[in-house]
Order: sequence, then structure tokens, then C-alpha cells
Amino acid sequence: MLTRVSRSYGALQALKPVDLTVLPAQCIALLGVNGSGKSTLLRIAAGRDTPTSGQVSYCGRPLREDALVARAEIAVAGDASSTYPDLTVREHLMLVAVAHGAGPAAPGLVDSTLAECRLSDHGNALPGSLSSGQRQALQLAAVLVRPRRVLILDEPEQRLDPGARRWLGGLLAKEKAAGAAVLLATHHVELAAAVADEAVVLLDGEVVARGTPDQALAGIQ
Amino acid sequence: MAAQTAAIEPADSTEATLSLLRELRRARSRKQIVNLAFWLYLAAIAIFSYGGWLVAAIVRALRQPPPAVADTPMLLRATPAGLAALALLVLVFVLWDARWRGPVVIAQPTADWLLDTPIRRDRLLRPRYRASALRFMLAGAAAGLVPVALLLAAGLGGSGFGDSLRLAGVAMLSTALLAGLGAGAAAWAEARAYAGLRVVPGVGVLAVTALAGLAALSAAFRLPAAISTILLWSGPWGWAAQGPVALAGGSARLWPAATLLLAAAAAAAMTLGDRAAADVPAAVLRARARTLGHVSAAVFNLDARRVTTAYRGAVGAYARARLRIRPPLARQLVLPWRDLTALIRAPSRLAWSALLALASVGLGALAVRASHAALLPLIAALTLGYLAAAGLCEGARLDGDDPRRAAQLPFRYDALAWWHAIVPCLALGVLAGGPAAALTIISGHVWLLPLIAATITVLVGGALVNSFRGELEGEMFDGFDTPLGNSSGITIMLWYVTGPLLAIGPMIILWSAAISSARAGRTTPEALVSVALAAWLCSIAARRARRLKTA
Repeated sequence: MLTRVSRSYGALQALKPVDLTVLPAQCIALLGVNGSGKSTLLRIAAGRDTPTSGQVSYCGRPLREDALVARAEIAVAGDASSTYPDLTVREHLMLVAVAHGAGPAAPGLVDSTLAECRLSDHGNALPGSLSSGQRQALQLAAVLVRPRRVLILDEPEQRLDPGARRWLGGLLAKEKAAGAAVLLATHHVELAAAVADEAVVLLDGEVVARGTPDQALAGIQ
Repeated sequence: MAAQTAAIEPADSTEATLSLLRELRRARSRKQIVNLAFWLYLAAIAIFSYGGWLVAAIVRALRQPPPAVADTPMLLRATPAGLAALALLVLVFVLWDARWRGPVVIAQPTADWLLDTPIRRDRLLRPRYRASALRFMLAGAAAGLVPVALLLAAGLGGSGFGDSLRLAGVAMLSTALLAGLGAGAAAWAEARAYAGLRVVPGVGVLAVTALAGLAALSAAFRLPAAISTILLWSGPWGWAAQGPVALAGGSARLWPAATLLLAAAAAAAMTLGDRAAADVPAAVLRARARTLGHVSAAVFNLDARRVTTAYRGAVGAYARARLRIRPPLARQLVLPWRDLTALIRAPSRLAWSALLALASVGLGALAVRASHAALLPLIAALTLGYLAAAGLCEGARLDGDDPRRAAQLPFRYDALAWWHAIVPCLALGVLAGGPAAALTIISGHVWLLPLIAATITVLVGGALVNSFRGELEGEMFDGFDTPLGNSSGITIMLWYVTGPLLAIGPMIILWSAAISSARAGRTTPEALVSVALAAWLCSIAARRARRLKTA
């Protein structure tokens, strides 16, 4: 839950005070042009940036990125921009699965995640040899291979082809149905319309419209 | 794995994860060890091939330390402040290093893939901290050889091999402990996001300068002994200096106690640092890992400019001021206006240049006044002057980084070098020329004024040559083999130092000639040659710019 959260960088106010609550089995989509404050809001929601004012809480407690509960339950996609040059795709996912306590179930879990993310044929490839779309799929696989109650995704549709985008929509719907709270920043209105329960439109760091995706989009038009 | 609605209770998977990572990366670790062994072998070969005479000279100096000379008593008086300054410099370096990468640093993939997992941070971070602290201590021990060399050269190294060895041992131990103390303090500070760490290096440099000044005063005048005593007990830098001071024959009778005190402080700081290492926030670790990745890539490509950019990105750009100058209407004033705006909007860069310029003037005055051995202060003065000029040429460097930036300007790209010379020349004229002119007038050396003015243009010209050097070209790595090794190293080094070499080298000769013929009271010929040299340097910069544009 974000209460009157704002963020300034020196004189620049990147995010004006905003309230946002994401509930289990709910998906909120943040829409807006580049530089409108979507990523700033996501970083704050993930505990990775400190708001200039306001509070961020998770399950009734102030959220800290370093807290064990945040690391165990909040999955953030898009952070793993670098990879171990000598580890394969499968080995990267194994590492994440084991670190999250999958234990002996890890190999099976990794295989099913690879299949789900359409990376089965690339399991033994080094990440450096993947296309940009496949690297994006690896980022998503890294959050799917671990337990999660909250899913935070920053423009996950980037670099995905139309087929993969449809797959992403199905995946997010499945996550929501399984009880995850999903917070998503996207430029892709169709994706937001397909999976989001609520859309928040940002412009120059300010919420200019919110409601169901249709209402929010109608509001800005 | 599906999302979960109930709270997740993670089992401790730390050991399993780290074991898996070790297992997966075993082949790479082996390769790294082999690489390290190979580099150590190469370093040993290089030392014995090229530095054999140096090793022999060191062994000879240790066996038979040079005897005391006439100036030895004077130098002995300077040892407490001088050695404390050197010790403080070690501490400042450790804290400066901590400011941008810290003793607790992990690789970028580890930051990206393991930091947001529930594994225990202490198991992940403490080994990194301990390895860093050990590296700092080893580097500190090596730095301890600097005061030993200085004391030996000054005839303060004792009378035999035993004395020299004892001096070296105590000095190395003291600086190693000091470095360990710094590493511990830095880890503690970064775990608590202690904002003071940002200003420590700057304040430390000022303190080192003050101590160096005090050392010079102590050498020139007999200061009260109480000053040395207070200085030697003023903090870890003083405790670290006491052993070498005492063994060099100075007054520090309680040096064993001071060394013990330093050891206790280092142990306490390192223990605190060890505990704090696990609490360094993930955001800090991620930022450090990213910076280290960028800096390492730039270093690997031998790209000094990108190293600076990555470093500045980590510690923050120069302090910015929102000052405005009204844009000019005349076309000819566009670039001077742009360069001046860049200077006043980064006043701390301007301040650094001013500091360097003042130091340069001071050393230049020393070179002019000295009756003998003026070469060293002269070289130092010109080098600092060059660095001051380079700091003022940021506008040119920005245009040199990317020729597209200047695409909309109403000038030919290769003519920019000339336009970019105006503001740095004027600024350096004010920062260095002003004080230098005042000094020359006061000391009655007015005849030096033309040469001072001409030197400013030469130093700026040299800085412009380097500003338009562009990126290191891959073919520079393909040198040719000589009996002394491949030539690529020299080519790359020359590529980096062309500007300063072409500016400082001739000016050393011209200034030496001017000073030695000072008694004649004219420097017009040297000044004219300098102006011609400055013009030549600007034309080289323009030629380099042309090549950059067509590349």
C-alpha cells in the first residue's frame, strides 16, 4: 500500500503525491508516456527507492527492500540486467529456485518454467547468445521460478513479439487467478485492458485518470 | 510455480545456494587462478628483467643505508608531520575508494540474481568484506615502503641492514593496520548510510596538505616539540607515524604503545566492519556493482575518459550551480559563452582547477627562487598547471567525446579547438596568471610576465590536444615485437600523454633556459617560442578533431 507517496530529485518532482493499494488477485496497470513517473512509482512500490514523502507498507508494515519478507514474497522482473557469463539459462534459474528454497524440486521447477516461458530449447545456452526477446523471457522466468505473492513488472512486453505478448497476457491472468497481486507498468494499452482490474494514468508524475482500463483511457481522451 | 496467497516462510537455503554457485563456477574459478598465476609470473619476469637494477639498488640501500648528510637534521625535524601526512594519505585513499565502491562489493550478476533472494546476506557479503580488507592491508603494507625509501634516502635509515629491515617492518605494519582500520570504518559507515563519508576524502586531502605544510615549516624553523607530540597522538595517522619517526631517530619514545593502540583500533574497526558488512543496503550494493562493472569495462578497454565518467556517475557529478549568463547575440561568442556556462555551473571543478593552479604557482616560485635543483619543482609546477588547464577544457572534451554534439554549431568541427581555447586561457590567466603576476611583481621578477602568459596558452593547447584524441583504436594494440617487448604498450601510453608531453616537455626546457639566464632579465625569446608552440598544439588539436569527424 502506498500512501501519499511522492518523489523528488532535487528541484524535479518526478512523482506527485499518489495513493495506491494492490490487493491479492488484483492487477493494477500504470500507463503513461516516457518520463511520466511509472518506473519511479514501481521502484518505490518494490522498496527499491525511498519516497521523498509518504509511506509504503506491505502487509501492514513499512516496506524495506532488505527485509526478508520482501525478498521472499515480492518478485520484481526486469532487474537482472546482467548475467553470469559462464552459466547457462538453466543454471541461472536453478540458482534462483534453490535460493528460494525449492531444494530437490528445483530441477523440475526449472524445466517447467523454461517450458512455460518458451525457453526449453535454450536451457543450455549462455544468456549472451539469446535474442533480446528471449532475454526478456528469461527475466520473466526468473520471477516465475520462485515463490511470490506480489509481482512487479516494468514494461514486461518490451522486445516481445505479438505472439509472446499474447502469451504474457495469459500468464498475468493466470498469476492473478492464483492470488498474486500484480503491479504492472506498460505502454501496451491492449495488455492493460486484457489483464488489469484498475489502470492508473500518469502524466508528469501526477495521476490524471484512474478506474477500469476503459474508464481511465476514456478519462484522458 | 504458482503464486501463493498465504505468507511465504522461506527455509534457509543459503548454504545450498552458495554451494551450487561455487559448483557451477568451479571451472571459471580454476581458470582465474591459472590466470592469476600467469600474471604473477609475468610481473616477476618484468620486475627482474626491467627492474633488476632497482631491486639491486634497494637491497644495497637496505644493507648499507646512505649516511646522514648536512640536511639530515632539518629533515628529521620534518618527519613527525611528514610521516603523519603520508599515513593520513593512506587512510584518505581507503576512504576515497570506499566512496565509490566500498570494501563490501559484489559482482553485478550476483547483485542482480542473488540480492533479492532470501539467502543470508552475512554469508554472501562478509567474505567479500574480508577479502577487500585483506587487499587493503596488503596495499597498505606496500605503501609503507614509501616512507621507508624517503627516510633511507634522507640518511635516516639507521646504520645497517638490521636497522633498515626493522624500519621497513614497522612502517609496513603501521600502514597495513591503518588501511585495515580504514576498511573497517568504511564498511561501518556504508552500512549506516553515513553521509559524512562523502566529504571525508576532500577534508582528508586538505588535512594532508596542512600536514605537508607543517612538515615544511618544521624543516625550516624549530617549532616547539609540543606540536609534534600533539600531532603524533592526534589520531591513527599519528600513531602509525610514531614507529618510523622513532626508528629514524626522532622523538617518539612511546611508539610501541602507539603501535599497540593502532593495532587495537584496527582490530576494533575491522570487527565492527565485519558485523556491519551484512547490513549494507541492497540499493548501495547494486549501485556499487554497476559502477564497478562500468569502470572495469572502461579499464579493460584502456579508456580513461569512460573510467572518469563511470566514477563520476557513482560519486555524483561535480556540484552544480544554477547560474545563467545571457546567451550572446554575436556568433563569435557562442562557444566562449557555452564554455563559460559549463565552468560556472560546475564550480567545484573550477575550484579544483584553482587549487591546482595555485599549487602550480607556488612550485613555480620555488623553482625560480631555488639556487639549485630547480628541475623537480619546475616539472611539478608545469604538470599541475597542465592539470588545471585540462580541468578548464571540459567543454572541448565534451565535443571531443561525441562529434555529433557540435553538429548544429555554426563552425567547422576542426575549428572548434581554437574556439575552445579562449575561455580556458582567460580562466587560467585569472587563476594562475593573476597570482603569478602578483608574485613576480612583489619579488621583482617582472621580466617573467611574458613567459607566464605564454605558458598559459601552451598548457591549454596541450590540454586541447588530449581533449580531441577520441577513443583508443583497436589497432594500437597490434604493436611490433622488440627485444624489450611489444611496442603496443608504448604506443598506447604515448597516445594518452601526447598533449602533456608536447606541452610540458618543451616548456621545461624554455623555463630552465629563462631561469638560468634570469640574470639577463629578458624572456621575450622564450615567450615567442612558447606562443608558436601553443599555436602548433592548437593546430594538432584541430587536425585530431578533423580525423574524429571523418572517423
